[in-house]
Amino acid sequence: MTNHWIDVKNADVILVMGANPAENHPISMKWIMQAREQRGAKLIVVDPRFTRTASKANIYAPMRSGADIAFLGGMINYILKNRLYFREYVANYTNAAYLVNPDFKGPGQLDGIFSGYDEKTRKYDKKTWAFQLDEKGLPKKDMTLKDPNCVFQLLRKHYSRYTLDKVSAITGTPKEKLVEVYKTYGSTGKPNRVGTELYAMGWTQHTVGTQNIKAMTIIQLLLGNIGLAGGGINALRGESNVQGSTDHALLFHLLPGYLPASKASLVDLKTYIEKLTPKTKDPKSVNWWGNRGKYITSYLKAIYGGNATKDNDFGYAYLPKLNEGQNGSWLVLFDQMFKGKFEGFFAWGQNPACSGANAGKVRKALTTLKWMVNVNLFDNETGSFWKGPDMKPQEIQTEVFQLPCSSSVEKEGSLTNSGRLAQWRYKAVEPIGEARPDSEIMNELYFRVKKLYQKQGGKFPAPIINLTWNYGEKGADGKIKKLDIHRVAKEINGYYLEDVFDKKAAPPKQIGKKGHLATNFVTLQADGTTSCGNWIYSGSYTEKEDKVINMMARRGKKDIGGLGMYPEWAWCWPVNRRILYNRASVNPAGRPWDTKRAVIKWNPNKLDPKTKKPAPGWDGDVPDGPAPPMADEKGKYPFIMRADGMGAIFGPGLADGPFPEHYEPLECPVQENPLSKKHRINPTVKLFYGTTGPHDEPKKEGGSAEDIFYSCDIRFPYVATTYRVSEHWQTGVLTRHEPWQMEMMPQQFVEIGKELAAEKGIKNGDKITVSSGRGKVWAIAMVTDRFKPFKVMNATVHQVGLPWCFGWQYPENGSGGDSANLLTPTIGDANTLIPETKAFMVNIEKA
Amino acid sequence: MANMVKKANAFEILNHWVMAVSFIILAATGFGFLFHLEQLNSIFGNFNAMKLWHNWSGVVFAVSLFFTIFHYLPVSLSLGSDDIAWISKAGGYFSKKAVVPPQDRLNTGQKLLYLIVLTVGTAIAVSGLIIWLRPAAADIRKWVLLSHLVHNIGFVLMVTIIPLHIYLATLANPGTFRIMVYGTVPLEWAKKRHAKWVQKMGF
Amino acid sequence: MSRKALVISPELCIGCRGCQTACKSWNQLSAAKTTNKGTVENPPDLTPNLYNKIRYVEVPSESNPVRWLFVSQRCMHCDDAGCMKICPAPGALFKTKEGAVGFDKEKCIGCKLCVAGCPFNIPRYDEKDKITKCNLCSDRIAEGLEPACAKTCPTGAISYGDRNSLIGKAQGAGYQKLYGEADLGGLGVLYAFKDAPKVYGMEENPAIPESVIFWHKVLKPLAYWGLGGAVVASLVHYVAFGPKKDEEVK
Repeated sequence: MTNHWIDVKNADVILVMGANPAENHPISMKWIMQAREQRGAKLIVVDPRFTRTASKANIYAPMRSGADIAFLGGMINYILKNRLYFREYVANYTNAAYLVNPDFKGPGQLDGIFSGYDEKTRKYDKKTWAFQLDEKGLPKKDMTLKDPNCVFQLLRKHYSRYTLDKVSAITGTPKEKLVEVYKTYGSTGKPNRVGTELYAMGWTQHTVGTQNIKAMTIIQLLLGNIGLAGGGINALRGESNVQGSTDHALLFHLLPGYLPASKASLVDLKTYIEKLTPKTKDPKSVNWWGNRGKYITSYLKAIYGGNATKDNDFGYAYLPKLNEGQNGSWLVLFDQMFKGKFEGFFAWGQNPACSGANAGKVRKALTTLKWMVNVNLFDNETGSFWKGPDMKPQEIQTEVFQLPCSSSVEKEGSLTNSGRLAQWRYKAVEPIGEARPDSEIMNELYFRVKKLYQKQGGKFPAPIINLTWNYGEKGADGKIKKLDIHRVAKEINGYYLEDVFDKKAAPPKQIGKKGHLATNFVTLQADGTTSCGNWIYSGSYTEKEDKVINMMARRGKKDIGGLGMYPEWAWCWPVNRRILYNRASVNPAGRPWDTKRAVIKWNPNKLDPKTKKPAPGWDGDVPDGPAPPMADEKGKYPFIMRADGMGAIFGPGLADGPFPEHYEPLECPVQENPLSKKHRINPTVKLFYGTTGPHDEPKKEGGSAEDIFYSCDIRFPYVATTYRVSEHWQTGVLTRHEPWQMEMMPQQFVEIGKELAAEKGIKNGDKITVSSGRGKVWAIAMVTDRFKPFKVMNATVHQVGLPWCFGWQYPENGSGGDSANLLTPTIGDANTLIPETKAFMVNIEKA
Repeated sequence: MANMVKKANAFEILNHWVMAVSFIILAATGFGFLFHLEQLNSIFGNFNAMKLWHNWSGVVFAVSLFFTIFHYLPVSLSLGSDDIAWISKAGGYFSKKAVVPPQDRLNTGQKLLYLIVLTVGTAIAVSGLIIWLRPAAADIRKWVLLSHLVHNIGFVLMVTIIPLHIYLATLANPGTFRIMVYGTVPLEWAKKRHAKWVQKMGF
Repeated sequence: MSRKALVISPELCIGCRGCQTACKSWNQLSAAKTTNKGTVENPPDLTPNLYNKIRYVEVPSESNPVRWLFVSQRCMHCDDAGCMKICPAPGALFKTKEGAVGFDKEKCIGCKLCVAGCPFNIPRYDEKDKITKCNLCSDRIAEGLEPACAKTCPTGAISYGDRNSLIGKAQGAGYQKLYGEADLGGLGVLYAFKDAPKVYGMEENPAIPESVIFWHKVLKPLAYWGLGGAVVASLVHYVAFGPKKDEEVK
């Protein structure tokens, strides 16, 4: 989130789309209801299904799964046509005024694609997406926003195609509802009104997932809602610490703190820094990623300590490198496993046999393994995959090791929530039996692997042997006897390895004492004098006046302006800034757009608290950098993480286009994309099946039969989606073992509309079969008014939905049912490859 | 020695005592439940025990009632003009000089008592069984409430009528109580009190 | 000690059922094996191991496919409690000083009359026929804590406090009258309804069954009067008329 959970209470309009917080983030509803009850905020819910969140909405708009960009594009069109945008904000804080290469063409002119598309490689040459540059090398601007090549006009042109009629025909949302939503949300374009939006997997898990979020970002920038209290772009993370997991780089393409993972062509640290550090010629752009070199160097110092010196390029050679174009994301990983490319697999705190898209393929993939380590609290469909339905144990050679691990209440450590807030947790009870915290399992694993490398050698032992790994007292054999999680937290925060000076000051000012914990990432250096395991967490476990403070353990309840920021409660990254891009919450002179909800305010009369001398500065939240307001000659642009300092309405960095464009899901109910005759689906998505058109035989190169898909096919005529329920957690590995939860939600179900049920002769409570091109599951039919048929392109389209929290392994008699992911397809987002599990096609029959 | 005639046999005597004792236990525990008389704990221990006493005494009472049917039903149902005359004279109890028509084995009052005990007793027993056993029925709540009402109306009737019966069978009519102990009465006494019966029996 | 109460606000309830689980956790109640009968609502009824549950109520809506209400069902902790009225065992059901109706399984005799006496059909009985129901976490409230359900509820749909203040607060929030303000002597669990109670599936005018009122007001006094009257009447008759002497019978 750019903002945070409690901040939702500050909104005037809350748009919930692609999420169902009442079910999946119930505590967030406290803030949504407070906004409603205390400031009369309006809650808008857009969802194919009338959810528990919708039951609390002021406006509910039904929308077919997979049509989000059409819906949001229509909103952009409405905002532009009715002049609801916040002009001063748009002109000054976004790239709306930038002029684009006049050769740029959009889908309206090229039948569904942008200029520069290569059909063979399915990639874009982005030359025509570049900005026109002036003699200084800065983008040319037209502050009147009238030039036909300026982003603003290109935006208008692009979304003029998203008329109310077109959008209604694509989404199935009645026109009056569209207008109601657009008008209400568009009202937050006024400087004293703010709107927030909450999204989750309903937006991300599509082939156009990234562009879904981009579309909303454009809307929030147009309305001037980013950086303000009660605004922002807010992802509801699907797990209590998944924010922490991405922060600490669980994903293949990252290093901690969202540093890019290295690849083979970046031969040394200098090249890595050269090629991956964004540059700007604009003195008013902070371009904070310009500090890339400091963070990668400090990271290497953290993990390799004394073994990382100037002479060995700080151990850069030890970092794993991706091959050019190599992708290690989920779908690719399991496709590789399916093709027999892996010997072993750690299923660590996950249950891919149920959570993976095309779970049947995942289960088959697991059979190719020589060994698997299942680290979990319970045995599950993954650890016991070989006992599953349709498995032939006698033909499976996999050796499975089950390692029981502790739950979150059986260990100490931090969790980082959706609002970037890292909160320290304490151990409440001892783990049972032989269960151990993950950190201790990793510790054990590390030292055994290290010992093997030391004894036997190997292809490249150094990266393992040379790790610092100072997380506790070491025994005579060099192994840590007891892991101290606080040491891990401190390494993440970072240390001054030498006395560090601010050389720009005269005389040079000491900013760090040798051996002390780093204050924050501003003081990190690129010369090897600092270490930091994760730059965005620098400052989370630090020292103030020689006293060590775990900032994440703080529980101070003081607030700023009643906005619910609580700056002394725990610690959020970066540097405890509660609302990101808050420099956009003030006008160029530093006065808040909305004085009643001021996040920061420029105070020219501020005094230094120690010297009592005048030191003009910012009041309120930690500002996005201490520089004066933009209008000042030393002032800076607000979007400090972007090279040009501006919010991106035009986004040439994405794989599938600088503007979001509606494409149909891989499996959809219409013959062709209503907006393009030639391009039905996202033209840049990786095709596992080897072709864009469904066939009954896999194409020769690369396609597996398991990846088959069917679109606009009478065999699978209904749109399906998957979702979660309050009562269960993810694939249900934990909650299916909890009798209180099973009592409330015992079995797999499918929600279907009354009209569809009548057509198929299905009664409420009947056991029915839901099938897709890839598999089938039984489910109890919940016949309900909550799903109504959609009118899409003049045809009636029915939609159904199922949860994915059940699995064959437990309850042991299989009475709970099995995962909905047995139905979902092998396809993912064009930028991230997150699987498209939210829109696909199924059939339903009485069992 | 006066001539004695047998008015009640051993079984009748035993049955009457069983019914009487079970009734007293039922009435006492009934009052205990109605008015939360915790003083009864000194006798029964606690209310859970009291419930057992109440329920099983009820079973005993119901069985006793069942046997009672066969003994007195025919004579109780044969109500004639003599009975009506008895009723119109209030059994002669409100005058020192009243004369009543000749009576059968049971006098009218006794017949009436018998019929009351039969109906109210059956109602109490059945309603009690429903409250206790709650047989699987469609609308158990309705039946329980109805039973609760019937049981308590019956209770009010019984605790009013039975003390009167005890008075009438002892102080008010000397010579009656010995039937419940010895089963016999003097012939002369029977000739005056149950003339029709003496005649029928040919004593 | 002023009377304490709960206010349930379906307009704030999101149907998450944290309250169902929190209650089971605090009272260490077991779970039943259930099946999905085509609804999210499970178990289908209160049980000896389910003191509160959420009912998922669907009513027609003009602007939406449906109007979906989540209504908590639990003991109402009535001032004039029907269960207490009909209960034959002293101490089995009792009022705590906060005004909650608590229960004591040891003193309960398992007659199950309370089930019939309750206007809301709340008490359930376990395998030993002993009464079980919500007791407003009487052990928690006695220590000044709030009931487990109120503590867990994320949106404040269940709020606990001084009854009068809660009523005042609800009025301030725009609810002119709460369901249960006056019924049955004033309920200990009040509902903030925006519409008529029957929209939410609740009785419009909850009352203790008439037969129980009749029994309590008429029959019970009559039992004493009847017994006492019969004894007194007998005494008076004996003094006035004396025994029936044989000489006077013809």
